Amino acid sequence: MTATTMFPLPIAIPLAVAAFIALSGKLLGRRFSDALAIATAAANLWMTISILRATWLQPQTYWFGNWWPRAHDVALGICFTVDSVGASLAVLASLLTTAGLLFSWEIFEDTENHFQPLMLIFMAAMCGFSYTGDLFNLFVFFGLMSVAAFALCGLKTLEPAPLQGAYNFGLVNTVGAFMIVMGIGLLYARTGALNFAQVGRSLGSSSDALVLLAFLLISVGYMVKAAIVPFHFWLADAHAVSPSPVCVLFSGVMVELGIYAVARVYWTMFQGGLAAHTRELRAILLVMAAITAIVGALMCYAEHHLKRLLAFSTIAHAGLMLAGVGLLAPKALGGFSLYVLSHGVVKGGLFLCAGIVLHRLRKIGEDHLHGEGKGMWWTAGLFLLGAWGLAGAPPFGTLLGESMISDSAKEFHQAWLPYIFMFAEIVTAGAVFRATFRIFFGWGEPAPTDRSSQIEEKPETDEEEENVPAVMFVPAAVLILLGIALSAVPNLRSTAEAGAQLFTNQFTYAQAVLQNVEPAAPALTAPEPLTSSIVRSCIALALALLLALGSLFHKRIGGWLKFTHGLELGNPILRKVHSGHPGDYVAWLSFGTALLGGMFVWFLRR
Amino acid sequence: MLNYLTYIVAAWIFLWGLYGIVTSKNLVHQVVCAAVLQTSTYVLLLGIGFKVGGTAPIFADIPVGTSVVDPLVQALMLTDIVVEATVMALLLSMVVKSNEVAGTVDPEELRVLTG
Repeated sequence: MTATTMFPLPIAIPLAVAAFIALSGKLLGRRFSDALAIATAAANLWMTISILRATWLQPQTYWFGNWWPRAHDVALGICFTVDSVGASLAVLASLLTTAGLLFSWEIFEDTENHFQPLMLIFMAAMCGFSYTGDLFNLFVFFGLMSVAAFALCGLKTLEPAPLQGAYNFGLVNTVGAFMIVMGIGLLYARTGALNFAQVGRSLGSSSDALVLLAFLLISVGYMVKAAIVPFHFWLADAHAVSPSPVCVLFSGVMVELGIYAVARVYWTMFQGGLAAHTRELRAILLVMAAITAIVGALMCYAEHHLKRLLAFSTIAHAGLMLAGVGLLAPKALGGFSLYVLSHGVVKGGLFLCAGIVLHRLRKIGEDHLHGEGKGMWWTAGLFLLGAWGLAGAPPFGTLLGESMISDSAKEFHQAWLPYIFMFAEIVTAGAVFRATFRIFFGWGEPAPTDRSSQIEEKPETDEEEENVPAVMFVPAAVLILLGIALSAVPNLRSTAEAGAQLFTNQFTYAQAVLQNVEPAAPALTAPEPLTSSIVRSCIALALALLLALGSLFHKRIGGWLKFTHGLELGNPILRKVHSGHPGDYVAWLSFGTALLGGMFVWFLRR
Repeated sequence: MLNYLTYIVAAWIFLWGLYGIVTSKNLVHQVVCAAVLQTSTYVLLLGIGFKVGGTAPIFADIPVGTSVVDPLVQALMLTDIVVEATVMALLLSMVVKSNEVAGTVDPEELRVLTG
């Protein structure tokens, strides 16, 4: 069996098992369904890793039904084109699903809610999303992913909050999906093709109004998934109410896949047409990225509902990732792929820790838990490590990703960008430090209360237990430690950059897909020294700790340090904007699309 | 002008759908507005695939070289319908649940999560 024939398996097998469990779950019983789902996810992890090894710096294409382009190199069939970036995202999706399913061993007593089948469908859709080489196929997997995600989000249907969160999530993402369909329709009308490589080749260097409109609609649609401000409102609501293992997938990989899709469509289809306006497009994307990072960080620090706090930190880091794509350069994209992997495992681990808190202490609001977690030192340690990883400090892999993006930013004379990253890292890590010190150490003043931390989240487990079960603790610990282990992989940065070079080369991509010409493996370049990034990230870590201590002891310290307390109270206007009203969210979505469209017309058409 | 008419109609429906979602005061109404928004994608895809004087693309009983409409857009549309029908059903079921649990279908009153 060659590697390419394996490509459909990580999608087909989980879907088949999901159908089997959904049909016969009652007969099989809870434990058997659990074990089967975990085994399937673990098998998927193994398969996606083998696919990653097979496609390591060597993209390969699988044509369904053997419909490979025969005459005139025209693609009629549907294909999976797997490269290092897509393959590693599929590994991340399978890894986090395995961890989430293991974690759920102790929660959800009944099988009625179809948790395991939904998780498997979600995983299959995410793998397909990262493998596919077809524009419409991408949308189909997007749809499958979304439906599974909406259902998983609204799993606890007996409380109003999950219903509201899942509904907002569903509605806003659906409007985004319609935009994608319209964009795809426009591209099909112009080119008569749906394969990325084929569409890119037919578009050539045209960048008229139709191409710009299609790019706008498709990228906005995926940016909704990627939680880029002002399309991000659904994310915090969805995270606050989802079961913890589901949050792991949302924050760890689903959001990142949205940014990945923007990168994929840009580099395979639109880069030729927009080549003359790279500078302007870079400026637009970087401004969006910076705003996302700042808004996410500010809201993150003002939250006291643990999951919502982590959700806003994901928005801040999504801004960082968008900058990795938005610099429109291979090095930054390589940094993006590293950052996604290391952030994914760290954030996933943190969400599992939040799940442990909910399991042991029966509450999730920081203001209700002051000092309640004393004695849970292992969990506290994981939280501290996770915050360390969010700060991007060594030895975490986040440092490597961030340093590549920062280096690339300097090459493009965007030296301000690393400071935005630093701000996002200080504030998000500071928020997690603050919560940890309060909950597990009982330090400082009690947290000021905010409305969202009053949401009563029903504990996911039935009975209060004295200890943390291993199936909960081990996945969380493994994920966070993987964030460290990742940075020990040799040649990681140069390989990531080489993979990104293949990703960004429209010409060799099209040749590989349509003519089966294997692209030459790019030469590995020596990575730049890490010194300045290490110094910067250590400063960030120290400032994050100071920020946390400042808001914990704001009454004892006076003077200008009191601003830390103000930061914790949050900006009333910013809070008010996150209104929880689905209509408002769609209004923001329309406003953002119109603004972005206006900028496209203004800057990209001259 | 006629060439552009379908595109104008699609954009028109799209914008009205958005307007409906933004201003809606009832969740059922809001989901229906999303469905209206979705029909704009049908109109757009129809406009793309249609060919004046084209016949159905069933190649069994028509002479070679006959002008036919594009068979692919119907497949796109069908997939679109299937995916979004699932989403609509899911959203409506959440509305039903919210009526049971929270006793309201007004998005203004359901706001538990804010700030």
